[in-house]
Amino acid sequence: MQEYSSQAAYDRGEAVCVIGAGASGLIAVKNLRENGFEVDCYERDTVLGGLWNPQNQHSPLYPNTHLVTSRSQTEIPDFPMPDDWPDYPSAAQMLTYLTAYAKHFGLSEHIWYGSEISTIEPVEGSRFEVIVKPAAGNAARRLRYAAVIIATGHHWAPNLPAYPGQDQYRGTVLHSSQLKDASRLRGKQVLVVGGGNSGVDIACEAAVNAAGCVHSVRRDSWHLPKYLGGEPADYALARLGSRPKFLRRFLTDRILKGPGRLAARMGIDVPDHGPTGEEPVRNGRYLEHVGDGSIRRRGEVARFDGYDVSFADGTEMRPDLVVLATGYRPKITCAPPGLLGVDGDSPYPKLLARMFSPRLETLAVAGLVEPGVGVLPIVHWQTHAIAHWLHVRKGDPERAANFRRQVVSESGQYEIEPSGASPRHQLAVDAEAYLASLGRIIDTLEQEPAK
Amino acid sequence: MSLSAWVRRARTPAPAPVAREFAFLEPADLFDLEIKDDPEASPVLCCTGDPAGAAAFNALWLKRIAASGRYAGAVSVRGQGGTPAAEGGVEARAHDLVQAAVTVPRQAVFIGHREGASWAALAAGRYPAAGLVLVSPRQFPKQPPKPVGGPPVLLVVSESEAQSKEAQAVTDAYGVAPLTFAGSPDEVFKGAAAEGLLDAILSWLAPKK
Repeated sequence: MQEYSSQAAYDRGEAVCVIGAGASGLIAVKNLRENGFEVDCYERDTVLGGLWNPQNQHSPLYPNTHLVTSRSQTEIPDFPMPDDWPDYPSAAQMLTYLTAYAKHFGLSEHIWYGSEISTIEPVEGSRFEVIVKPAAGNAARRLRYAAVIIATGHHWAPNLPAYPGQDQYRGTVLHSSQLKDASRLRGKQVLVVGGGNSGVDIACEAAVNAAGCVHSVRRDSWHLPKYLGGEPADYALARLGSRPKFLRRFLTDRILKGPGRLAARMGIDVPDHGPTGEEPVRNGRYLEHVGDGSIRRRGEVARFDGYDVSFADGTEMRPDLVVLATGYRPKITCAPPGLLGVDGDSPYPKLLARMFSPRLETLAVAGLVEPGVGVLPIVHWQTHAIAHWLHVRKGDPERAANFRRQVVSESGQYEIEPSGASPRHQLAVDAEAYLASLGRIIDTLEQEPAK
Repeated sequence: MSLSAWVRRARTPAPAPVAREFAFLEPADLFDLEIKDDPEASPVLCCTGDPAGAAAFNALWLKRIAASGRYAGAVSVRGQGGTPAAEGGVEARAHDLVQAAVTVPRQAVFIGHREGASWAALAAGRYPAAGLVLVSPRQFPKQPPKPVGGPPVLLVVSESEAQSKEAQAVTDAYGVAPLTFAGSPDEVFKGAAAEGLLDAILSWLAPKK
């Protein structure tokens, strides 16, 4: 059956295919190379850096994007950011950092730009046939790889809500990724929809630039300032994790008391779960803008009507510009959904330990988690584990089978019960538990084989 | 670097940043047509326990390394040479070394001399160095971290030190036999013995890129 394609496909032997040259893809390439694998990385755009590169046509950057997690918690563990950088570097600095990472480890020579993977097909010997579609109209190429790592990210396919009457709406509606310049807000009445980090950041931009800003939020979430107790907030909270258990609860409550009370004063019900559960909103300026009236909070949008927008609470407004900061949905176009354990129409793959395909041993996904902390270190350890796994699998099938059982039992321990209706929290994991699980996985893989 | 070591480090306060003195020489800086820049060769980053810091390598080392076609850099950690003193022990000095390493264009080889060898060994535990060269180590950690990415390790000691406990500790930790050089372990920066030592290191590096 495979005769035709096996003749046509160019066999890359033991090489590994990495899809995507964003932060996760770059880290995957580096860690695979460090473990002695040959790597081909395919990037559909013409630049590296993924979401951090404004030249990427799918870039989700909005004006003044900064990290929401601090430098020390976000840098790649074995390639720290310069220590004279600010605590919360900007998107431009992140791109500088990722470019330096690629240059330092000589990754660019393994990246094929302008090459989209149209599909991957499993072939015999748990290998993959990868079909590469170049952007510039040439014929597709077929190549065979020993393994595939998907690192296409989950911040590029906008999640667009459909409100009644929206298609008849006569004003301007933009998704947050289309708002590249804060001058578009100037002098306008702006409606920002969505209470995640992007929505809150854009509302703050509008608060200082626009004539007026209304912020529509469907459900309340935790609001953390970027600093707690004189330290970057995520660092301060992570440090508490190393305290004894009985103290941890007490200290966490104490440190969060101020932000919690401020949020309550601004009419935000703090959800019951702690701020480490779902991704909290991290912005210190937002509540102050709510407090000085430059951001007015409303509930969910009920419908669009001509030039007007009405809210669920019955109020109405006439915005000049509507910004939908409604986030992104994960979308993996390059692999058949069945391989990733997707059932039905859900866009959310069900992966073992959030990285391994449940169907095929040599297919993995890097960076498809929302741990509520900096994601680069998580991806580093994920790809470290994947690279070691491919190594072990090659040399010792018996150990590999045992390991497989461990991974299955590890999966699911760090799931967070989605507490609301929002489907976006399907990718959320408890960072502490997930890191511990990754640690156990790596320990198993790095053990000396039993003689 | 193990995951648990990273978690521990990410949850302890980072050392105070200092403006580090950094000296470097690229092959092209030597204005010598005979010297071929080898773009494949790993850059070299030197540090020493000598209080002069990076300046100690100016006399001979940087020129000679650059003449072999490699980027040659040297850094003064906190309290040495032109780098202001700041709080922090060996971990902070290893931090200075890693911070210097990430500014080097490509994955660097660490060459550490005296206390510098200990800092280089700690730094290699959190940065994937392309190689680790320990020259007459002093105050070497009892259990140095496993070097990230498994770089090749070279131990060079003077003849008088071949049986010292530092040399033994390094041999135990990395499983490498020491290479010996003639002369005093503190006089490695100039003179005939220093040239011989440096050439031995560079010829060890040459096939490894």
